[in-house]
Amino acid sequence: MQKFDVLVIGAGHAGCEAAHAAARLGCRVGLCTLSRDTVAHMPCNPAVGGTAKGHLVREIDALGGVMGEAIDATGIQFKLLNRSRGPAVWSPRAQADKKQYGLWMKNKLEQERGIEWIISQAGALVVEQNKIIGVELEDGDILRCRSVVVTTGTFLNGLIHIGPETQSAGRFGERATHGLAESLKMLGLRWGRLKTGTPPRLDRRSIDFTVFEEAPGDDLPVPFSFMSEEIRRPQIMCHLVHTNDQIRDLVRSNIDKSPLYNGQINGVGPRYCPSLEDKVMRFPKRERHQVFLEPEGLDVNEIYVNGYSMSLPRHVQEELVHALPGLENAKMIRPGYAVEYDFVQPTELFPTFETKRVEGLFLAGQVNGTSGYEEAGAQGLLAGLNAGRRSRDEDGIVIGRDEGYIGVLADDLTSKGCLEPYRMFTSRAEHRLLLRIDNADLRLTKLGRKAGLINDERWDRFECRRARFESNKRLLTQTTVRVGNGERLKASKALRRPTVQLEWLLDQGELDLQLQSSDRAIDIASVETEFKYAGYLQRQSAAVKRSLRYDRESIPTDFCYLGLPGLSREMIERLTEIKPVTLGQAQRIPGVTPAAVGVIEACLRRDKKNIGKGVGHFAPESTL
Amino acid sequence: MYSSDDTIVAIATGLGRGGIGVVRISGVNALGIVDSIIDSENDLQPRYATFVKVVNKLDKTQFLDQSLATYFPGPSSYTGEDVVELSCHGNPVMLQEIVQITISAGARLAEPGEFTLRAFLNGRLDLIQAEAVSDLVNAVTPLQARIAFDQLEGTTTSAIKEIDENLFDLIARLEASIDFPEEDYHFVGSNTVASQVRNLLVQTGRLLDNSTRGRLIREGCQVVILGKPNVGKSTLFNRFVGVSRAIVTDIPGTTRDLLTEKIEVDGIPITLVDTAGIRETSNAIELEGVNRARGALSVAGAVILVLDASRRLEEQDLVLLEETPEKNRIVVINKNDLQRKWQAKDLGDVSNVINISLHEETDFSILRSALTAMLVGGSEEILRDTPMLSNLRHIGLVERAETALRRAEKAAEDARPEELVLADLQEALETMEEVTGKRTADDLLNKIFTEFCIGK
Repeated sequence: MQKFDVLVIGAGHAGCEAAHAAARLGCRVGLCTLSRDTVAHMPCNPAVGGTAKGHLVREIDALGGVMGEAIDATGIQFKLLNRSRGPAVWSPRAQADKKQYGLWMKNKLEQERGIEWIISQAGALVVEQNKIIGVELEDGDILRCRSVVVTTGTFLNGLIHIGPETQSAGRFGERATHGLAESLKMLGLRWGRLKTGTPPRLDRRSIDFTVFEEAPGDDLPVPFSFMSEEIRRPQIMCHLVHTNDQIRDLVRSNIDKSPLYNGQINGVGPRYCPSLEDKVMRFPKRERHQVFLEPEGLDVNEIYVNGYSMSLPRHVQEELVHALPGLENAKMIRPGYAVEYDFVQPTELFPTFETKRVEGLFLAGQVNGTSGYEEAGAQGLLAGLNAGRRSRDEDGIVIGRDEGYIGVLADDLTSKGCLEPYRMFTSRAEHRLLLRIDNADLRLTKLGRKAGLINDERWDRFECRRARFESNKRLLTQTTVRVGNGERLKASKALRRPTVQLEWLLDQGELDLQLQSSDRAIDIASVETEFKYAGYLQRQSAAVKRSLRYDRESIPTDFCYLGLPGLSREMIERLTEIKPVTLGQAQRIPGVTPAAVGVIEACLRRDKKNIGKGVGHFAPESTL
Repeated sequence: MYSSDDTIVAIATGLGRGGIGVVRISGVNALGIVDSIIDSENDLQPRYATFVKVVNKLDKTQFLDQSLATYFPGPSSYTGEDVVELSCHGNPVMLQEIVQITISAGARLAEPGEFTLRAFLNGRLDLIQAEAVSDLVNAVTPLQARIAFDQLEGTTTSAIKEIDENLFDLIARLEASIDFPEEDYHFVGSNTVASQVRNLLVQTGRLLDNSTRGRLIREGCQVVILGKPNVGKSTLFNRFVGVSRAIVTDIPGTTRDLLTEKIEVDGIPITLVDTAGIRETSNAIELEGVNRARGALSVAGAVILVLDASRRLEEQDLVLLEETPEKNRIVVINKNDLQRKWQAKDLGDVSNVINISLHEETDFSILRSALTAMLVGGSEEILRDTPMLSNLRHIGLVERAETALRRAEKAAEDARPEELVLADLQEALETMEEVTGKRTADDLLNKIFTEFCIGK
């Protein structure tokens, strides 16, 4: 019998971050996975980042997580999305060398002394008096532990569809997890069923790429991690091709064979990631759709056909691939498929990712109804951190909506639940202008350090960077510069003009800043933004201040809503189910009126003397 | 949103005319806001009534009303917050005016029942006393609370809804272009954003232009009859009122005090005020009458300035012409049945002049129509489906939206990136949503996914 502080089930993107974060705290961590070969596996798009997702990775990195460094080490095409817009919506994205990414992550975790690998299948959770005490493996062994992080992705009752063929599986060629699913359901957690899909993979050797339009990355890759000096791996080219009428007709004439359209699939799929069937059927007027050909690595032959996910029978998929102009002779290595899986309604969780029903049981990643490696990683980090703290009876840590996209993610999931796979978007973050990739470290690294996630090397680097930022800010308020029309004024004032760019002032030799060559773009953005968008930032900060009044006001988890004057039955039910941990969260629960929040506040104040014991300190601290 | 960090204001006494009307201001800035709208020799002392003059904040010289101001520091006040109550004269138009300047000084119009709710939230009322809270909690959801209002003013709400929809559409497109930059879509041409915002500004502008008219029809207006002595003001007053309410003699200075009657002209409720003839006088009573006449002028929604065609134009006539705002004024040249000593053109470039004899019935109806036309743009123009903002709350919201839209317009013209334009557009949308109901990020994504084929 072994004893762990934290046991992590699953070594996908959530599991890796969770195990790493808990190990950073000095916990004894058990990492239970079916195989070392699928660590941080990318079963779908071999890429990290994208709009808002790139923000999540930057924040994971700023909190000492691993995803950013992993993609910087193994990325083969980098692109800063939205570069033509302002720094608030710049989002890094990179193609990963899929195999190398997994290997890098495995090595990284193997170097963590606190992590012990358990190559086995988890069978059942061992719970005593609503407290987790261990996990039983399928072979009957019981591992004792103080807290558990379940990160089983799509493995819970996973069912793969390729045309009429179905196969019970987690991911292609891997076993599904039934015992654990049953065990979780026995706890009374609320469930739903979702669906996602992936496109076919093609053999690079069967394709003549010269006929396609090129889709290049950036000439100067911007790294994800605040720790990365430069991107060393050779960069590759992706290619773009468009669908045509023939493809549309082929899909239509075979639509009855699609599990999505013939009733075979019940799970709800993501609308932002539609299958080819959906694209054709739901948007019949659209003449063509983009399809990207993306290599899955430098020395592998798989080409990922981005934008072409489907669950039609194999032979139809082959026809559809060959109908793409230029791919007439392409060889399909494996077909696309749809997968249905069970997920736990995340309203079952506190924003620490601990379940409300079982103390010490944490859930993170796709099992909570999200999609995407970045969303999974972000949850993993928070869950690992809080599982580690739980094992020592320390209070939970929550990140506010005003502090990071991670906070938006946690709050959205636990306040509203999921109706479709949840993906992060910048439009979900109401304080978007403050939550930029250039200031992710300024927002979060201090909090990470306090929590024990940041090692000395990263902290030293951060202190240098913060010092650079502060001194650059001073320089800009003190230095007089000459702008285009010859006028002389303080740089901080000049930057407020839409036509004046800091890069231009630097080029003209009007002033000299402390810039780190590897972080040049970010260094410039973080200081320029402070002045250029000062009015906007002030207004948004004022809005944050208004919302903080409620977001910093805790509600005890045993607070009784029954009998409060004026609350409708629906409101009472919803509030009792969600158990909001702050007034702010209560306010964001659909159907709860502002005045109802006022009533709760008044009653909290009334009860202040006899407040019951909560599960922890949930009101996030401001770190800035 | 309920939060005790803002300050609210509303008329605390019942609707309609009364001897006294109370404007109540509650919240952290209550004292500061009131300070900025009153002219007083002494500071307000807690729990003492102080005589003050209410003045327009922007133009301290514009005197609105005399008032008794009482300051109740929190927590020993009705709401538990700092409260100031202004006891004014009970004229609804003037009370609205005072509420309006309080809002422009930083207060927010209270939601229905919000004073009581705050009192409850601050522990000033216990649960039983505040049974009504139950209704309040449900009533302040944006839709429910406004149903009654919507029934009355369906056209306004639909006009706001239309702006709201157009705004939401533009926002969805801009958001889509940020969140889905690699799609094969041009969600919105960057060079058309400014012009789309301008279209929205045209819509809000139209609503606000109509707002004065809407309020007039809803709340009425004070019309003051002004002129030097013995030009026929009281005769005119009696013609409007329909009975011989004012004493009419040939003796200049007959009318000493203000005479007030409520009448209706083409459906518009009007408070008609007859005043003492304005002239230099040493008679103490008459002097007070003249002062009151000038006071009435300062709160009047409109003025009928009466001149006498049978006597020479005097200095006094010209002074009154100068003192009254041309926009809301009708110049009546009375007694044109007698021998004229001067012509309208002698007044120079003055608009809205009519020549009448009050003894002629047709002449009087010309005056009536001229008054209606001045107040609401003519009786035939009061169309039922013209959206008119007559509710202060809605006017405030649309004004806030307009301010944010102007910033968005500027940002778009300066080719600022979308997320900055969006920050202002979102702010405008939030004010609209206080009428139309709140949307969430999911509603926005729904709209994008429904209209565009997004995703790889």
